[in-house]
Amino acid sequence: MPLIAAKALTKRYSGGVTALDGLTLDVEPGIIGLVGANGAGKSTLLKILLGLIKPTSGSVSVMDMDVVTQGTRIRQFVGYLPEHDCLPPDLSATDFVTHMGRMAGLPADASRERTAEVLRHVGLYEERYRAIGGYSTGMKQRVKLAQALVHDPKLLLLDEPTNGLDPAGRDEMLELVKRTGTEFGIATIVASHLLGEIERVCDFLLAIDGGKLLRAAPIASFTEQTGTLAIDVEENAETLVLRLADHGLTARLDGQSVLVDLPNAEPYDIVRDTVDELGLSLLRLEQRRHRLEDLFSGAADDAA
Amino acid sequence: MQPDVSVAARARTGAIYDLGYQGYEGPRLGRLAAIVTLFWSSWRAAFGLGRSGKAKIVPWGLAVLALLPAAVAVGISALVGNAVQPFTYDNYLPQIAITLGLFVAAQAPELVGGDQRNHVLSLYFSHAIQRVDYAAAKLAALTAALLTLTVIPQLVIFAGKVLGATDVLAALGDEAPKLVQIAVSSLIYSLTYAVIGLAIAAFTPRRSFATGGIIAFFLVTSIVGQILASMDAGQISTYAQLIDVGQVLVGVTYTIFGGPGFSFGPPRNPPSLTPDLSGIAYLGMLVAILVVGAAITALRYRRMQA
Repeated sequence: MPLIAAKALTKRYSGGVTALDGLTLDVEPGIIGLVGANGAGKSTLLKILLGLIKPTSGSVSVMDMDVVTQGTRIRQFVGYLPEHDCLPPDLSATDFVTHMGRMAGLPADASRERTAEVLRHVGLYEERYRAIGGYSTGMKQRVKLAQALVHDPKLLLLDEPTNGLDPAGRDEMLELVKRTGTEFGIATIVASHLLGEIERVCDFLLAIDGGKLLRAAPIASFTEQTGTLAIDVEENAETLVLRLADHGLTARLDGQSVLVDLPNAEPYDIVRDTVDELGLSLLRLEQRRHRLEDLFSGAADDAA
Repeated sequence: MQPDVSVAARARTGAIYDLGYQGYEGPRLGRLAAIVTLFWSSWRAAFGLGRSGKAKIVPWGLAVLALLPAAVAVGISALVGNAVQPFTYDNYLPQIAITLGLFVAAQAPELVGGDQRNHVLSLYFSHAIQRVDYAAAKLAALTAALLTLTVIPQLVIFAGKVLGATDVLAALGDEAPKLVQIAVSSLIYSLTYAVIGLAIAAFTPRRSFATGGIIAFFLVTSIVGQILASMDAGQISTYAQLIDVGQVLVGVTYTIFGGPGFSFGPPRNPPSLTPDLSGIAYLGMLVAILVVGAAITALRYRRMQA
């Protein structure tokens, strides 16, 4: 059963902004990263999955339930951490999370028990009895995660979970997200504009840009080796490019590096000899890996 | 928080308590239970329960203010005998109408404004309820809060009458039917004030605007209604009192329960306290107020961005 199946999903806001543009995708359970620049349509997609906003056209189902007709049922099994603040300052974390657990349908006792458990999981201890208004951003983010987890959802939607956190707070939050996804086995979608974060916690990646699906694939496939050899030399990179071309290799300059397409026969010897010929000092010689960034720079090139 | 402290804390508890994550296999009570939960939490919020002491001052102060006339009257008649009984079930609610208006002005924004201001709404709407459920739960909670303000003082009067009588049992028998009047009139007053207050409060996350708007609504409708009614302009003046919510409520309860009129008379009512429009007009106006107010609130929440 696919976790999420979308067909030609489109959302146009009344102002004429198209947030999602014919998005079609099938996603299996796991920790899924949803990346895209600000305004790419990440939050819109999450809100449609929750039934908070209705798609303009197209269809999408979550766990085989249609979001438009079965929104209420889906929301019973979904935990949502919004991008923005969503906590009442005058309640304590315990009271608030217990309340949200009951809103999700837990009986009062079960909600209290699970609240204690979940707050411990996110790392809130004595402070959970104090009013949320006095919490730091990091503590608030933890409460937001706790309220999304309290009813043991089947699907967790996290919208920029590290928003506003300092580097240490980011690390802790990401670790928490990873633990939640792997140890608890809760399917998780993490929306973020930071590729590095997605790379660290997710095992599947959805990249969207301008409301369109750029790519959907396991993270590993983004970082696998490419058919390109990168050579860094201290100076005269231009000369090296020309000389390598003389030897029949396709070489080009990319910033400070010289990139050589790997033909069937590996050109390591030629490169070594050429560098030696020119009397350059070789700093680095390695087969390039894909980087997640390439995904978007490639898209930008296509658009240009 | 220092990161190293929290890591240490987690390590410590991890060693002792961490039983791993437990899934939840128990019942999920669904939409109705969520509505009931929202109702009770909102009712508590209306009285500042579970909040700081500061949040309790206004609602409890107004609740005491609503009770005070009845308590004083009963106390006096207990001391000096039943010679003076200024309050009846017919005229008590008009007496405390201003208090009810202030309670709504103060607490309706408390119930709904904070959820908008702090964006808690997007959490509520991402749970297993419909948007209209949210509005209904809040309306029910505000109505229930107002019921405590309207019913209790009348029960005090009731108790005073029964216990002050020479034959308590006979008095109980005489007064018991009046309990229906207490319940129904209280419900009508509470629901009306709640509907109006919520319809206005739903429109702004800012507390001061909402409070000011609600007070302004009651003030303006009351003043305009009374000015027009006293202008001696024939039909217009007669129907103008329908603008005044207080007068509509007086008319409706009078239509349903009759009564001796308002001999002690709330000063804000015109000298002829027996309403002189047909009961249908009052009832129709009340229904219109309730339907329009509830529809405004429901539509507002349906369209709200969350």
